[in-house]
Amino acid sequence: MDDEQKQRYLEKYKQAKQQGVKFFPDIIYKDLLVSFALFIILVMLATFVGVANEPKADPSDSSYIPRPEWYFLFLFEMLKFFPGQIEWVGTIVVPTVAILALFLLPFLDRKPARYPGKRWRAIGVMGVVVLAMIALTIRAVITTPPQVEAETVATTLSESILIGQDLYSINCVECHGPDGEGGIIEGVEGLEGYDMKSISAQDEMYTRTDDTLFNVINYGQPDLGMQPFGIAYGGELSIGEIETIVDFMRYTWDDRAELPQEVTQASAMPTLGEDQVPSYDVHIEPLVKRYCISCHRPGKKNNNYLMQSYEEVMNTGDHAPNVIPGDLASNLIRMLHREEIDAGGPMPPTKALKPEIIAIFERWVLGGAPQTPEEAAAAGTVVTGTLTAPQTTAIPTP
Amino acid sequence: MANKAFAWLDERLGLTTIYNVVLDRKVPKVNWWFTLGSASAILFLLQGVTGMFLAVYYVPSPQSAYDSIQFIMNGVAFGWLIRGIHHWGASLMVIVVFLHMLRTFYYGAYKYPREFTWLTGVVLLLCTLGMGFTGYLLPWNQRAYWATTVGTELPGTVPLIGPFITNVLRGGAELSAVTLTRFFAVHIWFLPAVIGALIGVHIYMVVKLGISSVPDRED
Repeated sequence: MDDEQKQRYLEKYKQAKQQGVKFFPDIIYKDLLVSFALFIILVMLATFVGVANEPKADPSDSSYIPRPEWYFLFLFEMLKFFPGQIEWVGTIVVPTVAILALFLLPFLDRKPARYPGKRWRAIGVMGVVVLAMIALTIRAVITTPPQVEAETVATTLSESILIGQDLYSINCVECHGPDGEGGIIEGVEGLEGYDMKSISAQDEMYTRTDDTLFNVINYGQPDLGMQPFGIAYGGELSIGEIETIVDFMRYTWDDRAELPQEVTQASAMPTLGEDQVPSYDVHIEPLVKRYCISCHRPGKKNNNYLMQSYEEVMNTGDHAPNVIPGDLASNLIRMLHREEIDAGGPMPPTKALKPEIIAIFERWVLGGAPQTPEEAAAAGTVVTGTLTAPQTTAIPTP
Repeated sequence: MANKAFAWLDERLGLTTIYNVVLDRKVPKVNWWFTLGSASAILFLLQGVTGMFLAVYYVPSPQSAYDSIQFIMNGVAFGWLIRGIHHWGASLMVIVVFLHMLRTFYYGAYKYPREFTWLTGVVLLLCTLGMGFTGYLLPWNQRAYWATTVGTELPGTVPLIGPFITNVLRGGAELSAVTLTRFFAVHIWFLPAVIGALIGVHIYMVVKLGISSVPDRED
């Protein structure tokens, strides 16, 4: 632009100002309106969409598919066009050129024209760039595989404790017992007959910090026969999962910590009426999860009797069926009563279940081993008097 | 009484002058796209205020960062709202700042006499992206950790100085506590300081030169 053009522009701008409006209130009013609308949008997003809850960073879990914030996706996607040796063209050359072009724009485009219709070349270049960014972003969203996020993320302490309880039941009960009480280990390869000390005793809880508990689970104690459980050391548990187990141990066993009421309520035994038939979904599954599943899952020594679902409980095992609806001489019941039979020895191996828990199993088998509460209701009632006589087999399947 | 107090203040602060120079001035009649600049500034302020509240509870260490955010979300009164606004505000700010740039480009407003305003604007756009990049790591969750791992790895592909850049970004060979603290420092001190100062310059230029007009066929 030469001086004459500059003068002409300033002259015209002065006119535009004179024919224009007052900054206050006209412009300010529009500005405030838009800003307020944006603020409302943000409050709505925060309230109704919220922020997704992600699992804690786990440097050992390299299976995680990295994805940048959405406004960097186009950059990420662009790199795919510069594979291998020329990757640096995508990572540094293209962005540098783009940023420089943006910086130098007023000096590259020195023509006086401002009306978009007269600047089709500049508008065209920018249009192509913006369209390319949008296209690359869409492409990135489409081509990125979905994240495999099997892990449930605990948002509150109570949730963490409950998740930890389930993980403890699966991973730890076979050696440490359902309440951390320990005892003579049976049926665990390499540790057969080992006298496990209690890990829930007061002196254990008082002398081990959360970090210590975390490390023991994460690294294991190979000299004592405990394998590492952290993913980084060959186990199956992520950092977040181990933390939930620590929460469970601390809040359930340490008498200085108070178990949140929500947890007590959530893990309490579902109510069972005096003559009501229990169902698998409501009553049996939580018990199985807590006392049995640690061994009765794939890869453990269990005569191929798996107990992870109703179907498995009913049908699997070398001595299947272990549950015969209506028959109190079912293997399951006899072994819970600590009988030594063909199918195996007393269950659970270390310590008998409390009589009232065994009674629930008996009532369930007697009532026809129903899966859902509806089926259980349809099965009617059982006479509680028969419960203490496990040899009774006469009641027919409904 | 109120008049007297105002006169006293005015004599010392020059309120009338400010009103005359900044508020009571004529500007060209413009359309709604011209609200994006002030919207960017307001969003920056909003991010600043919510960020300050988050900083009350946030702990920038790998051991505590994640838990401190869980606490903000579940334990602090309205913590979820503050974090939600900060989280979504980041995305919205990138959009608004970018659209503001596109509007300026489309109407040729970067031309004489506003070249310098444009330059400060480009730096502000880059700083906004920098805020997005550094803020993304702070929750210390899987998404943050791995995105930043890759994001800091990319400059490493630059010939010769690449590994050095990665090292500076991470404060070591690996993503660690050092990375988190430096991202935190850059996110709450370095970049906001630069952005705040440049917004000042940017707005000064706008007031001095006047907002650009919508060009007509003759421009």
